[in-house]
Amino acid sequence: MSRSLPQPEEIEPEGVRPGKPGPEARTVKTPPTVPIPPPRPARTRPGRDLTAPPWGFVVPALLVYAVVVLYPSLAGVAYAFTDWSGIGDASFVGLANFRALLDDRRTLDSVVNTLLLTVAVVVVQNVVGLLLALGVDTGIRSRSLLRVVFFAPAVVSPVMVAFLWKYVYNPEPTAGLNGLLGAVGLGALRQDWLGDPSLALWSVAAMVVWQYAGYSMVIFLAGLQGVPPELHEAAKIDGAGTWQRFRYVTWPMLAPALTVNLMLSTIGGLKLFDQVYAATNGGPGTASETLSTALFKEAFVYGKFGYSTAVALVLALFVAAVSLVQLRFLRAREVTA
Amino acid sequence: MTTGQGHEGTTGRTGAADRGDAATGRSRREFLRAGGGIVAAGALPPVLSGCSGGSGDGLRIVGVTDQQQPVEELLKLYRRSRPAESFTTSFAPTEQMQTVVRTQLAGGNAPDVHAVYPGSGSAMSMVELARAGLLTDLSTQPWTANIPAAFGTAYRYEGRTYLYSAGSCLIGAIYNKKVFARAGVEPPSTWTELLEVCTRLRARGVVPIALGAQTPWVTQLISYALVPNAVYAHNARFDDDMAAGRTSFRDSGWADALGRYQELQRKGFFNDNPNGTTFEQQTAMVATGKAAMAVQVSAVLGVFREATESPEDLAMFPFPGGDDPARLWIPAGIVVGLGVSVRAERDPRAADFIAFLGKQENIDRWASAVFAIPFRRDASTAVDPVLEPFLPIVDTGRAVPFMDQRWPNAEVQPAHFAAVQDLLSGETDVRGALGQMDDAYRRAS
Repeated sequence: MSRSLPQPEEIEPEGVRPGKPGPEARTVKTPPTVPIPPPRPARTRPGRDLTAPPWGFVVPALLVYAVVVLYPSLAGVAYAFTDWSGIGDASFVGLANFRALLDDRRTLDSVVNTLLLTVAVVVVQNVVGLLLALGVDTGIRSRSLLRVVFFAPAVVSPVMVAFLWKYVYNPEPTAGLNGLLGAVGLGALRQDWLGDPSLALWSVAAMVVWQYAGYSMVIFLAGLQGVPPELHEAAKIDGAGTWQRFRYVTWPMLAPALTVNLMLSTIGGLKLFDQVYAATNGGPGTASETLSTALFKEAFVYGKFGYSTAVALVLALFVAAVSLVQLRFLRAREVTA
Repeated sequence: MTTGQGHEGTTGRTGAADRGDAATGRSRREFLRAGGGIVAAGALPPVLSGCSGGSGDGLRIVGVTDQQQPVEELLKLYRRSRPAESFTTSFAPTEQMQTVVRTQLAGGNAPDVHAVYPGSGSAMSMVELARAGLLTDLSTQPWTANIPAAFGTAYRYEGRTYLYSAGSCLIGAIYNKKVFARAGVEPPSTWTELLEVCTRLRARGVVPIALGAQTPWVTQLISYALVPNAVYAHNARFDDDMAAGRTSFRDSGWADALGRYQELQRKGFFNDNPNGTTFEQQTAMVATGKAAMAVQVSAVLGVFREATESPEDLAMFPFPGGDDPARLWIPAGIVVGLGVSVRAERDPRAADFIAFLGKQENIDRWASAVFAIPFRRDASTAVDPVLEPFLPIVDTGRAVPFMDQRWPNAEVQPAHFAAVQDLLSGETDVRGALGQMDDAYRRAS
């Protein structure tokens, strides 16, 4: 059954073509290499894919997914065209909810906030994540510990993070971040981080970056470890400095990791809810209201489910459109080793 | 080696499943069928109970955290005579309760007895739920006959009673007696005296009024404390005029009330950065003596007492919104109560429990637990001494329901929160703030 494996001596060195042996080919002894495993036999026969084992086991999960996710999502589309209050009967109102959305200053302000927050989070989180990844990809002895430390906030509940940061952002001059600034002689920088309308949105953004920069770091780290060291060595031999090696070797090879990171942080930013709701509840006033917190309030505080689902539908379509455009653009510039 | 075994093992199982495993005698199809049966068997009971409208074995009670103490205390008493009956209770902060119970109401799986807010103006208010036909009419219960006429709109919709609530809680100033004594000041009884007291406290290095306006519901309390004098003392029918469109927040005494709110801030009588300060921080400031007072609802007096080393240091006085003590009006809102879901309409246990709560001694117990004044008092009623300064005002009819209890939709209250935060941060002025509230009031409910 199994075919005979080629012996190490039979493997020709790379670049040497049969019939045209170069001078080196006659002298180079090929080192013993790892035997090439035989190709796996095909696991399924043509025409049997739909009845193969994985599909059978996936059916229960698909059923649950359909009932719990797909049906409510599609039903939500229908609610978007009604005046349903969340209880009682609903009447069809056509496009009234979407027209109201365009006239609703409160919702439009939350769109602006969401976009600002997303841009801030995407840019800063990925820059910080990349710097952390470059830092822990070196040979320092504590790199394993640092990776865990930087990644740890990403696994904490966003609501917990928000409550933790409310203490950090305590407006008292001697507490939290303000206390730290005072202690290091930067007392002039003390602020009312969550209570100042001009700062609240950016304070939330910083909180989100703190939580997820480690997550971006892990993805960048995976990308960095996929860069063949030979390319760096070749660039070194050619005289490239650290910056040039990063710019012309590492950075292009990080494109797939960058695609994933930008996609995830963009989608996360556009949907941001927990941290904003727990830290500021959209305030002061409506200074940090995002589309997600606004639509939550429309549904559960104001009892306007129909309108809220219309906002949610627009948000979902917007996220999908942004993601698709981003994906096409980023995929086009990806290179592989 | 492990990989090889795994690979072979997978292949082997696949083959066995395809043709039927001789050892087990089960094909994959049979296995899936059996598994599906187990899953369905596990899932069916909850699905059925969710659809049937039945309440299972026990009476389900869902309330807000504020109600936990009185409900648990009274349930314990109730069960003494009904030891065989079972109950399930759960409590959550307002927003969580509201989200969950409204969803259950929509799904036809509401708890038998659940929290209901008085009047209108909230997504879980009595009017909102009764209008949707989701509450059981409690009008035949004896205690409903004792509800004072002035509180009718809080308890009744179209002449029928849908809410059980023990009485009214008050808004006033919770103050630290030691801090007042050290500054040599007494609780003020007029607005002018209040400003003098605050000035003296501030001169002593104490924050006169702690304000935790980052917690949205705290923002409304100073407005509510000032509006009775600024609005209802002059026009007791203000709510009717608003509903009829004859007046607006902007063109009423609300402008004076928010002007005074702003004056307190302008004079430096609040802590720095009230918009960044939470309710918990506000509480700690008064409890530790860093601040002298906080305008608060009486229901949280227990929280303030827990935060201080000597609870007897804390007391309350009516917050003076005007300069004539004999004509001082105060806010007294009906406390969050309970309603019976229509799902439990035919379940005698739900109505029986509410009837038990309606007995005078139990109304007194509930009111006492939340520092409220029972809607009906008799010789046996003992009101917490801390509330005694309020009783003459309540008894002479100068207490008005919290303003949101007559608002027509659930949007005005959040608009008020946002408007006050904007006012405190200088993002808007009084007219702008009240304009936001007028816009929310006029939106269709």
